[in-house]
Amino acid sequence: MPDYSPDDNKLALKVVFYGPALSGKTTNLMQLHSLLNPERKGELMVLETRDDRTLFFDMLPIGLRGRNGLDLRLKLYTVPGQVQHDSTRKAVLSRADGVVFVADSQPSQQDNNAIAFGNLEENLEKVGLDIESLPLVVQFNKRDIPGVVPETELQARWADTPWAPLVMASALKGEGVLATFRRLLEQLYPVIDAEFRLAEDHGISARAFVERLTHTGDASDA
Amino acid sequence: MRNFEDDPTLADLLSHEQLARLNQTLSGLCSAPVTLTAERPEVEATPVEFNLETIGWLSGGGSARERDAAVAMVGFLMLFIGKYRLAANLHHDATEAGYAELQRQNEALKDSEARYRALSGQLQQKVDEQVSVIRQTQQELYESARLRSVGQLAAGVAHEINNPIGFIGSNLRVAADYVNELGALVPETPENRELVADFHALLTESLDGTRRIADIVKDLKTFSSIDQADYTRCRVNELLLSAIHLVQTEYQHDLDIIERLAELPDIHGHPSRLSQTFFNLLDNAAQALRDAEPDKGKGRILVRTLARDNAVEIVIQDNGCGIPEAHRANVFDAFFTSRPVGSGTGLGLTVARDTVRAHQGSLELDSREGTGTRVRLVLPVNTPRPTKDS
Repeated sequence: MPDYSPDDNKLALKVVFYGPALSGKTTNLMQLHSLLNPERKGELMVLETRDDRTLFFDMLPIGLRGRNGLDLRLKLYTVPGQVQHDSTRKAVLSRADGVVFVADSQPSQQDNNAIAFGNLEENLEKVGLDIESLPLVVQFNKRDIPGVVPETELQARWADTPWAPLVMASALKGEGVLATFRRLLEQLYPVIDAEFRLAEDHGISARAFVERLTHTGDASDA
Repeated sequence: MRNFEDDPTLADLLSHEQLARLNQTLSGLCSAPVTLTAERPEVEATPVEFNLETIGWLSGGGSARERDAAVAMVGFLMLFIGKYRLAANLHHDATEAGYAELQRQNEALKDSEARYRALSGQLQQKVDEQVSVIRQTQQELYESARLRSVGQLAAGVAHEINNPIGFIGSNLRVAADYVNELGALVPETPENRELVADFHALLTESLDGTRRIADIVKDLKTFSSIDQADYTRCRVNELLLSAIHLVQTEYQHDLDIIERLAELPDIHGHPSRLSQTFFNLLDNAAQALRDAEPDKGKGRILVRTLARDNAVEIVIQDNGCGIPEAHRANVFDAFFTSRPVGSGTGLGLTVARDTVRAHQGSLELDSREGTGTRVRLVLPVNTPRPTKDS
């Protein structure tokens, strides 16, 4: 849930990158860190890793300012994907405003995707969030690897869910990462606007919200 | 901090001493002392950011460039301190949540354990109840079989003896008449007169014997109640007298039984079971007299009845050996007996108590070892309804 402090006129939002182990959540965040050039961008914090696997979480703060001095912050988090870190995942997931589910496109990882998605549903319920109404984008990563499950098959499989269509990505190459993030911001805006009147009170339209937070600094779109 | 992710303040990241040391170190690097504070100072200062948040202000230094360099260095340091803080806070949050979850599960487990314990207690109670029902039924079965065989035996004996006793008696009376007639015919000598008188006496004595046999048969019939239905009007005094006669017969008419029977209303009851009860109590009393110390003097049994409000009271009292303290708790238990093997079933008092219960009456046993035993029965005149059909 958004955290608004009236004293500083500060609105902090939280987006969590969720998914099975080794699906590329941290890679997504690192790409966003290097690709994005929004008005405000903090340091990418990569907390303890072991063998390149996240133990706690990674965090990237970005932000923009509204017309009346609104200090809008977006903190992007990843969770550890390994099964045993469930309590950490739950702690990071609590009070989330949006979730990006990063799935692995390799055929061998389809079961793990399903298990991780089930775990997401379960943990959302435990921290009191409703998966049906929460802004949620599903990304199938690692499209660059040969032999991945074909996109048509994946899209067909998810067609009847509220999360269709899926976003295809290759985070390692920086492809689809921004598209995923944009999709999430597009879903997130109406929810925040309804509560905090971003357009009316702060002069931030849906388009401005997405554009200003995903500004890349040059014309090319990754 | 409320949540691990809340933005930290300068005080969260650095203690007072650490801040002083940082200021001192930075001042050593710069051409003029610099100061890092959480609040913006009056003098010219550069903001220090952490995660987009201004956490402090750096003032002093030789130039703006020097200040910028110092600020960059502080920001660099803060990144690592902040990382550690975030990880530690997250770990703390997750551990606490895990512990709370564990406690909740523990509570649930305790609840479930208590539920199962209660269930197991209930089951045990049910089993105990069933066992007691089975024992009760078993005992009633045993007793009713015994009663039935006694009844059948009595019926057979009564049938077989009544007829011969009938014709023996009438024959003896005819024979007595014949002796009188013969006495008139034989010559009148002292020898003959004595012979006829003796013959007459023999026949009279025999007639008396047949009457006694007939009485015993009658008592047996009353005792076994072969003529009667289950529950009927019972004359308690008559049942008692039959039982007394039977016990006397068993003990060769050697018992000193004092009867003090008052006028009683008929009661609603099961005559054969009541007879059996009276017999058992009298038999116990008789055995108690036999087992008493030889130097105690003549044993006596007192049988007393009394009419009370809608009830009759029966007291059977002896001055025999009494019941030892140690046995008193067990005397009503089925198959409990202090007598040698083969001389009793250990059901006497059990049957008595159950019979009295079936009649919704009460049985009190009062005994002192060496002094005697008194059993007091109270039977209602109208048993509301027999609790068991037998």
